[in-house]
Amino acid sequence: MHVLIIEDDKKTAAYLSKGLSESGFIVDATDKSDEGLHLARTGDYDLVILDVMLPGRDGWSVIAEIRRSGKQTPVLFLTARDSVQDRVKGLELGADDYLVKPFAFSELLARIHSILRRSPVRQPEILRIADLEIDLLRHRAMRGGKPLDLTPKEFALLSLLARRKGEVLSRTLIAEQVWDMNFDSDTNVVDVAVRRLRRKVDDPFEKKLVHTVRGVGYVLEDHQEQKG
Amino acid sequence: MFWSSITGRLTILYTLSAFGMLVLSTVFLYRVLISGLETEDNEFIDDKIHVLQDIFQKNPNNIEDLAEEMKWERTALDSSPYYIRVLDQSGHTLIETSGMSGIIAPSLFPVPDLIGSVNLSKNEIKWRSPKGKPYLLKAAWAEVVPLQDEREQRETLGRLGFEVGSLQRERRLFQIALDVSDDEALIAVYRRRLLIVLLLGILFSAAAGIVVARRGMRPLKEVTRVVQRITATQLHERISPTRWPKELIALATAFDDMLNRLENSFNQLSQFSADLAHELRTPINNLMGEAEVALSRTRTLDEYRHVLESSLEEYGRLSRMIDSLLFLARAESRDTQIKRSLLNAFKEIKAVQEFYESVAEEQGVEVTCQGNALLNVDPILFRRAVSNLLSNALQYTPRGGKVTLSVKQTDDECVEVSVSDTGSGIDPEHLPKIFDRFYRADRARSQHPQGAGLGLAIVKSIMDLHGGTVAIKSEPDKGTTVTLRFPYASDEQTGDVSLEPK
Repeated sequence: MHVLIIEDDKKTAAYLSKGLSESGFIVDATDKSDEGLHLARTGDYDLVILDVMLPGRDGWSVIAEIRRSGKQTPVLFLTARDSVQDRVKGLELGADDYLVKPFAFSELLARIHSILRRSPVRQPEILRIADLEIDLLRHRAMRGGKPLDLTPKEFALLSLLARRKGEVLSRTLIAEQVWDMNFDSDTNVVDVAVRRLRRKVDDPFEKKLVHTVRGVGYVLEDHQEQKG
Repeated sequence: MFWSSITGRLTILYTLSAFGMLVLSTVFLYRVLISGLETEDNEFIDDKIHVLQDIFQKNPNNIEDLAEEMKWERTALDSSPYYIRVLDQSGHTLIETSGMSGIIAPSLFPVPDLIGSVNLSKNEIKWRSPKGKPYLLKAAWAEVVPLQDEREQRETLGRLGFEVGSLQRERRLFQIALDVSDDEALIAVYRRRLLIVLLLGILFSAAAGIVVARRGMRPLKEVTRVVQRITATQLHERISPTRWPKELIALATAFDDMLNRLENSFNQLSQFSADLAHELRTPINNLMGEAEVALSRTRTLDEYRHVLESSLEEYGRLSRMIDSLLFLARAESRDTQIKRSLLNAFKEIKAVQEFYESVAEEQGVEVTCQGNALLNVDPILFRRAVSNLLSNALQYTPRGGKVTLSVKQTDDECVEVSVSDTGSGIDPEHLPKIFDRFYRADRARSQHPQGAGLGLAIVKSIMDLHGGTVAIKSEPDKGTTVTLRFPYASDEQTGDVSLEPK
């Protein structure tokens, strides 16, 4: 996967490049909008990450030019301005998503995945991670052959983590996806819910599947599998 | 431009009215002078005619007496020359002031009525000689009334049978021309003076107008000066209405009221800035301290990871605080629009309850939902408000307590959503400020580290956005109830409302 970053802030560009490279992307980065536009038009990128506030030609103009040249490369906007008008403008110009600074890197990764996945991929009916088995159709989960007694919300939480296996999910994203609470809050609700889920899914077993990434969120993965 | 200032207008109006008065009075005086002079001239002429008539009637045939009289008068009143002409019945000049015929022909005079009365008809005319000298011309008849004895003689003769011819009456026409050039000169001088007076008058009244208008406007200037003295640091100053003239009291009062409001907002704002700085200080202090300590010597990888994780948590806190502050700031701006849709209120509070279910169970607090109502609100904002309230309620309710979420349609078509707990309650002194930003009732106790004290402020601004109100009731050790009151919002009011309950 080839990603182009057009961002004039050096630190932002540097950590984005580093983080994305480490997540398996091939990254090109530029701090000049004209150069970025040229690369986007001529290169073969799967995604462009575009800062709105650029010196000289701004992000709006860059995306307009990209679209005018007939390229339908997905574009993800980054901006420190988040008025509704700005969002609407970005989406009208053909942006695929919009992230407001400051954002969590995990959030960015999640959005990138969702943009690149947009062509619907058929979800398997049964997810298997190590000895955990989740039947999405019947709303049943088993571990080591034994059924887990989960509440509906706990099941939703577990299947979210399982579907996005290996991806660190932020608390905000989890609250959005599981409870439809579309706002950031200072509450520890997600932490408590994950703790309770662990009590049922992980505590009775030696191998732990749900992991905390401090300050970021939660991830479900089989560490041994990853190492192996 | 001049008209746009009150002083300018007052000056113009004052000058116009003063000048108008001046013009009226000078015109009046001018008229009085002219008519006075005319009357004097007429009286003089009439007088003269009377004298002449008298002389003639006493001695009809004595021209010398008349001539004597005319001469005498001329020498006596040299200043005001006049001419007299005496004509007989058929229009022949009997006598005239020397040189008169060269100036004024007899035909120029008006023809008086043929009456023997002494009563002089008003028939004088003004005439200007070819040389430009003005004259007042008047003519009058005089009759010789037959003497008493002559009449008696005739009657006696008639009785005795004598043929007596009709008594022939002698008539004389007196023509008098009065040279009125002195009058004219006097009037001309007077007119010139009046013009000067008028010119000076308009200047003077303009000057007086400016002075008066300025004086009148002086309190306004003083108010301005007082107001100009008030800066951001002296918002406690008031311009005290009692000092000012009646007209300015309303302005001064309104201004003081505005100052009250401004001072209030200003204090709130500086309190807010101070609180904000304080709230920022703690996480930033943690970040700096941890990084500094970590870098002071070589650490194990795990230790570095620990520092980074801890700073990520602090960043998250800061970021959420910024989000909340931005939310509040945006909610305050007037053009903020909310997206309403029709919701089943019970389902919404139930969803929020489910969100907190695990926390409530861990804390041993029972959360129940009750009631039923339809709401026309922004779904995200509504959940956020209820979530903030429930989160607070859970924080302050001890194990074994109860929190009740309820919705209710009131009689006046409002919907009330309340969150009540059986928690520790809030001291009454805190209640008025509880919805202020960063205000925390338990500032001293730090046992509830969650949140930055913006939760209730956000609830308040969400209610403001919906045109609703929020009320709080609390009794220490018994519990707290917060009630959100959403006004009835019709479909027309809200524009695009999706009719399907979410």
